[in-house]
Amino acid sequence: MGELYLESRLEFLRASQNPDGGWSYFAGKGSWLEPTTYAMLALHGTGSDPALDRAWKLVRSWQLPDGSFQPSGEVKDGTWVTALAVTLARVRGVGDGSVRASVDWLLRVVGAEHNWWTRTGSFLHLIKARLDVSHQGWPWRDGNATWIEPTAHTLVALKKVAGNYRAADVERRIRDGEELVLSRSCTDGGWNYGTPNMLYVDLPSYPETTALALLGLDGVEDPEVIQGLEVARRFHAETKSSLGKAWLQIALRCHGKDLAAPQDSAWVPKAPSRDVMLAALEALGHPKGNYKLFRAAGGAMGGQA
Amino acid sequence: MTRRQFALLSGAAIVGGYGGLQLQKVRKPPRLPDGPPGNSAVAIIRARSYSDDLVSRMLEGIRQCGLDVRGKRILLKPNLVEFDLATPINTNARVIAAALEVFHHLGAAEVKIGEGPGHRRDTLDMADDARYRETIPKFESIFTDLNRDDVSPVKGFGGEQEFYFPNTVLAADLIVSLAKMKTHHWAGATLSMKNFFGVVPGSVYGWPKNKLHYYGIPESIVALNRQFGKKSFAIVDGVIGMEGNGPIQGTPKPVGVLVMGSDLVAVDSTCCRVMGIDPEKVGYLRMAADLGHVRPERIEQRGETIASVHTNFALIDDYKDLRLV
Repeated sequence: MGELYLESRLEFLRASQNPDGGWSYFAGKGSWLEPTTYAMLALHGTGSDPALDRAWKLVRSWQLPDGSFQPSGEVKDGTWVTALAVTLARVRGVGDGSVRASVDWLLRVVGAEHNWWTRTGSFLHLIKARLDVSHQGWPWRDGNATWIEPTAHTLVALKKVAGNYRAADVERRIRDGEELVLSRSCTDGGWNYGTPNMLYVDLPSYPETTALALLGLDGVEDPEVIQGLEVARRFHAETKSSLGKAWLQIALRCHGKDLAAPQDSAWVPKAPSRDVMLAALEALGHPKGNYKLFRAAGGAMGGQA
Repeated sequence: MTRRQFALLSGAAIVGGYGGLQLQKVRKPPRLPDGPPGNSAVAIIRARSYSDDLVSRMLEGIRQCGLDVRGKRILLKPNLVEFDLATPINTNARVIAAALEVFHHLGAAEVKIGEGPGHRRDTLDMADDARYRETIPKFESIFTDLNRDDVSPVKGFGGEQEFYFPNTVLAADLIVSLAKMKTHHWAGATLSMKNFFGVVPGSVYGWPKNKLHYYGIPESIVALNRQFGKKSFAIVDGVIGMEGNGPIQGTPKPVGVLVMGSDLVAVDSTCCRVMGIDPEKVGYLRMAADLGHVRPERIEQRGETIASVHTNFALIDDYKDLRLV
């Protein structure tokens, strides 16, 4: 069931690979690491190995000397996408020195609000938000504040290297990152982008961020997770957001939740935007898709990180 | 010094610093510089509802501002942030549709729409919620998600050696900031200048453009306008604005105007006066006083007078001192 849904998306991904081996956010544009990662994960194990090898070669060319990864060939700064590159490497069974350099970078980076001044300000109630700044988390870019999405992606990546490299450091950052995510759940039980409260006003949760938070919390047994999964189920039933639904399918399935297969419809991209990232995420979230690759134990783990 | 003494001293320094900041906020700001040479025209055009003939009203305002767009490639930059049925967060779809028709009518070579929302949602789905797709002809074929567009570096922006902007933005001859008239819980007011946050690509700088928060919100607004202000025009949707805890959680505020002009500083200053906010107390407008005109004697008001459309927007406690008296 749902074969057309999955196959049409995979076919779209195969057809929209750029000559340099990567994928763009929208077909016909330049390659970026984020859509390339999701496309590679979606096509993993589907008999597309030569195409994926070319893509991997491109991804590796974007690693910077400090271990971080550029988000595209054009942009020369290392960002949160380093976490995606580590996830991808582990799925491909790669655990060499370049992966270790990326893990070192991820372990070094912390949210900018985790400093003495902000913690003191928080203690003195000078920050007008219900926000626990005792945890580190991860920002979109080094030097910026922690957000749920990059933190979740980094938790996924670090769980894939846990026990293989700098085990104690990795374990400590994973536990701390999970505590950060748990501390930032909204009063409605889901997750917002960053803080659950601003100017002492509670903020609502969103489908996309709730799904990603739950992915980051894979393996955590906590009442907040159970509540979050209920919120995620409700979002999945109600949201009109294609991106939100795709991430929710991935997260809920990773948590072992039984979801009906999507209607068996062919991939009809919203012409002419042809959203590659969305196609890849929808393929990943299909019952027969590769959603498990986001789990700690998902994918090949042959290499030593 | 013991650790306890150090902690107490540090705490006192923070409290003292915070108190100083508060005092600084209520002190009357020094007189602004004259700004660039000449005066700036700003048109306030009545539009009591979105069912009015917005095309005619917009044409009237653009004519009053003397804008010539013949042969130009135009990018319409609406304010599409988040969707909530209960409150008008985004530039109304009918305002965008009218602008599209107006600029084609005036002889633009090309008119596109681009936006990079601050929240990472499916932009096209959000545009659906905001009724952009059903209201704006061929929306999908002319819309670019600026968060995920290809980018090119610009040198020297905001003190960075290189800063990346979407190619769609860099290629436009004229950017029309189709902003919403709203209060803002960090900036005081969000109008045509703050709307440029949406041209910063999330794929490079994250969401909600957090890099700009660290650079400083007023500083970023001014830097973006220094970068793009000279090739910009503003049309602020004040038909129904937002007051209180904007830009997302405020409440609707009917004003019934469109405010337009080529000097975005002057347009935003005029909007502030319409909203009952003193623009000379708004940080980013003060900082932008060399880019455009804030002082009323340097703004040639066309169309309606400020007094005839003025209505005080509710302000959160942190910004009560911005009230125009």
